[in-house]
Amino acid sequence: MQDTTPKDIGQLSFGLMEPEEYREMSATKIITADTYDDDGFPIDMGLMDPRLGVIDPGLECKTCGKHSGSCNGHFGHIELAAPVIHVGFTKLIRRLLRGTCRECSRLLLTEDERDEFRDQLDESRKLSRDLNDVTKAAIRQARKKDRCPFCGEIQYDIDHEKPTTYYEVQQVLTSEYSQRIAGAMQGDEEAGVERTTPDELAEKTEIELTRVNEILSGSFRPRESQRKAIEKALDIDLTEEDTNKLMPSDIRDWFENIPDEDIEVLGINPERSRPEWMILTVLPVPPVTARPSITLDNGQRSEDDLTHKLVDIIRINQRFMENREAGAPQLIIEDLWELLQYHVTTFMDNEISGTPPARHRSGRPLKTLSQRLKGKEGRFRGSLSGKRVNFSARTVISPDPTLSLNEVGVPDRVAKEMTQTMNVTERNLEDARRFVSNGPEAHPGANYVRRPDGRRLKVTEKNCEQLAEKVEAGWEVNRHMIDGDIVIFNRQPSLHRMSIMAHEVVVMPYKTFRLNTVVCPPYNADFDGDEMNMHALQNEEARAEARVLMRVQEQMLSPRFGENIIGAIQDHISGMYLLTHDNPRFNETQALDLLRATRIDELPDPSGVDDEGKPFWTGYDVFSELLPDDLNLEFTGTVGDEVVIEDGQLLQGTIAEDEVGEFGGEIVDTITKVYGNTRARIFVNEVSTLAMRAIMHFGFSIGIDDETIPGEAQERIDETLEDANDRVEELIEAYERNELESLPGRTIDETLEMKIMQTLSRARDNAGNIADDHFEDDNPAVVMANSGARGSMLNLTQMAGAVGQQAVRGERINRGYEDRTLSHYEPNDLSAEAHGFVENSYTSGLTPREFFFHAMGGREGLVDTAVRTSKSGYLQRRLINALSELETQYDGTVRDTSDTIVQFEFGEDGTSPVKVSSGEENNIDVDQIASRVLDSEFESEAEKQEFLGSRPRPTNLSEHADDRLAEGTEVTSDD
Amino acid sequence: MVDVSQHELVPEHTVLEEDTLEEVLSEYNIDRTDLPKIKRNDPALPDEAEVGDVIKIVRDSRTTDQAVVYRLVVE
Ligand SMILES: [Mg+2]
Ligand SMILES: [Zn+2]
Ligand SMILES: [Zn+2]
Repeated sequence: MQDTTPKDIGQLSFGLMEPEEYREMSATKIITADTYDDDGFPIDMGLMDPRLGVIDPGLECKTCGKHSGSCNGHFGHIELAAPVIHVGFTKLIRRLLRGTCRECSRLLLTEDERDEFRDQLDESRKLSRDLNDVTKAAIRQARKKDRCPFCGEIQYDIDHEKPTTYYEVQQVLTSEYSQRIAGAMQGDEEAGVERTTPDELAEKTEIELTRVNEILSGSFRPRESQRKAIEKALDIDLTEEDTNKLMPSDIRDWFENIPDEDIEVLGINPERSRPEWMILTVLPVPPVTARPSITLDNGQRSEDDLTHKLVDIIRINQRFMENREAGAPQLIIEDLWELLQYHVTTFMDNEISGTPPARHRSGRPLKTLSQRLKGKEGRFRGSLSGKRVNFSARTVISPDPTLSLNEVGVPDRVAKEMTQTMNVTERNLEDARRFVSNGPEAHPGANYVRRPDGRRLKVTEKNCEQLAEKVEAGWEVNRHMIDGDIVIFNRQPSLHRMSIMAHEVVVMPYKTFRLNTVVCPPYNADFDGDEMNMHALQNEEARAEARVLMRVQEQMLSPRFGENIIGAIQDHISGMYLLTHDNPRFNETQALDLLRATRIDELPDPSGVDDEGKPFWTGYDVFSELLPDDLNLEFTGTVGDEVVIEDGQLLQGTIAEDEVGEFGGEIVDTITKVYGNTRARIFVNEVSTLAMRAIMHFGFSIGIDDETIPGEAQERIDETLEDANDRVEELIEAYERNELESLPGRTIDETLEMKIMQTLSRARDNAGNIADDHFEDDNPAVVMANSGARGSMLNLTQMAGAVGQQAVRGERINRGYEDRTLSHYEPNDLSAEAHGFVENSYTSGLTPREFFFHAMGGREGLVDTAVRTSKSGYLQRRLINALSELETQYDGTVRDTSDTIVQFEFGEDGTSPVKVSSGEENNIDVDQIASRVLDSEFESEAEKQEFLGSRPRPTNLSEHADDRLAEGTEVTSDD
Repeated sequence: MVDVSQHELVPEHTVLEEDTLEEVLSEYNIDRTDLPKIKRNDPALPDEAEVGDVIKIVRDSRTTDQAVVYRLVVE
């Protein structure tokens, strides 16, 4: 048995590996570039040496004795003929070369400076700041030194030629110094430079005349001070850069002498990492399991890119050794050394700028170590953070108003694929046998069973009957998903917590996931082709967590604004409006039909008797049946009237968006907070079904005639627009006569624009009002706008009255041609028509010019939303990444992973937004709640005390289990 | 010059006494470097605050009346 208990990671430390460590962990030294012999067996001490692990099934690992699958593979090593630089550390190597003495290797800082930087480093560590700031400053300080403070050696500049070559740059006297001095002494008549005699030069530079003559003859090389003096006197340059290449072996020797205490100041722990280890003398060879070879169809072996690269390295390494032993000239040795460096470099990173990538025979660049890790498809982003998972399904979503908001309709073909593991016991043995006997094709069937000895058997059509009889307690059965199973459901982009919620499964025919329309707002889903993902949970712990924490009803209140995010939408709202606005009457059949999909199966006493002597129920009566019996509420509603609910009876007001809608419908919000999530779920479910029944009872449809106004109204609108045009003309004339008075803080031009805009928008509103006068209150567009179901009066105005001014960047349309918007307008025409005022309505149709202006305004809207979504998405990602590791601790503080306190109390007040009242005046009636709870819930004082001690929450974890139609009329509070 | 620390929207910043500081640190079971930081040159700081001091900030809160926060003064 493998130990699968999770373990804590105590500590991770990063450092360099010592060559000796590479040798110790190596299973074998690799000396030959060949992989397999003629019989197809791996060659000893070759790149496929069997001690490096096994990939062929059936073979045994020569190091650990395990078989392929359980042997992880073992490293080997190559002894490099000459040291080479590790490309991953070129920057650090450069820094160390620049900051240490070329002679004695000590850090070029006085002891005092060194101690100061060490202290700074300690402080940065304590405050968890970036150590690089300190170490960079230390190197900068060290580079300023011309001479070593310890041995006095002159220090030279270090040049780094990417990727792995370093030079020492020395300023030396040029070899043609005498010619240059003589040339400069000649003077230049054209440039007006006079001749200089040796006497004058001697005088200027304070060098003896004999020395000057010696220098001029080239028999004496001027010292540095003399050189500088001559350079200054004659205004010439006598220096030359002498570059001296540093071989990796030189660098290694240099680094070996850096004392431990000097390295510490550079932020390196000398016990774990010595700088000379950045120069490789031994190269670890990854196990064969990390670079498996593939056997092609024709029986040929195809090796991994890494193996190809290792072959190159070994070949060059061998050639290097042979040439050196044969005493080859230095030039050839250096060439081979560079080649070895190139192969080791590209083995680690094949995408280095300035270096041609190593290529396959086909010309494809090789994928080496760094390429396996980097980028979107790399190990980190591709395989570790973003792996694809089993037990998940994705398909198109479609609506199903008969489902509860907690449920999801799952296609049967998905249910048959995504199994749940059943641990068979005596109590579920019969069920388990039934699933197995159904086989893998019939729906509540099973796909696999696992015997107590661990053998996994596939259930087939043929063996299912036999297998079912063998199933006993202790077996495991992978049964199909059935109604009531819990799954996780998700729609991308997952921008908030409610984008991933748990649902209970209802298995259904056809191919789409089905959801209740009230969960569209949290997922931001619609049914124009949206797809969603489902994940089947695979252990009891996960299923319990999902049920308790993630179920849709538990997400009813949004942590963003503390109010309900789930509620009635669109047609539900229109339906409730129709049901309650004029409080219509229903006979018994009609009332029962409205309530047929709810728990209500008995009507209350009728409100009254109609003219024919038959009893009737009002819309209020029907709606009140859904409310908790003791609910009391009073607030100003959507339509502007006062909504009054007393003892669970709606007495006054219209039920619409602000009452039962998403994003803070008052009644839904109150029920969730006062009566609990379960009661709220039942209420929302019932409101939506009642509303659907109501809207079907009244009939609700919309057509082009509903936005058409009579001819006389159109005439009035035309008059209004004509008036507005006249007034705009007057404004323009006044402007042209210079009679227009500018508004405070505005230029005359701006004033004119503002006044025109005002005039025109008033004209549009007037047109809208005229149109509105001709719409009855039962006009469907009006109903939708008034109830808040969809659309606004502005939409109606634009459909029936006039579309109005089109704007780009908040101004009338001003772009296009020179001094005009379209080619056929007069230049500088300021009229309404020439700047995008649309007089027509959508119903009457736009002229081509109007259409063009409308498209301009519309495009701006599209561009804006595109830019906004990408900008805000990026901002959100960065916020999430920055805050993702913050965690609220049991002591109420919010801390990051290094235990630094971010907030002393969660949110500075220690409260959850969904657990507090967020009403406008914050006036929650505590007395009412307290007395109601205490008085109504308990008959005796003893019971009350018992309650005040501890109150167990009623568990209601599966909606599937509780038959909500058969339940009592009232649901007890669970919150 | 405007003294920002006297503005009504700037909450009260006081230097914490050493023994009260010990209580705070033990209450949260932290070192002083685990506290949030404030720069020495922050204009809201009282004049006597020095690097290494811990500042107690008492903010008005809509939900809890007062919210207390501690910060370590750094360079
Ligand atoms: Mg869509
Ligand atoms: Zn092995
Ligand atoms: Zn030195």
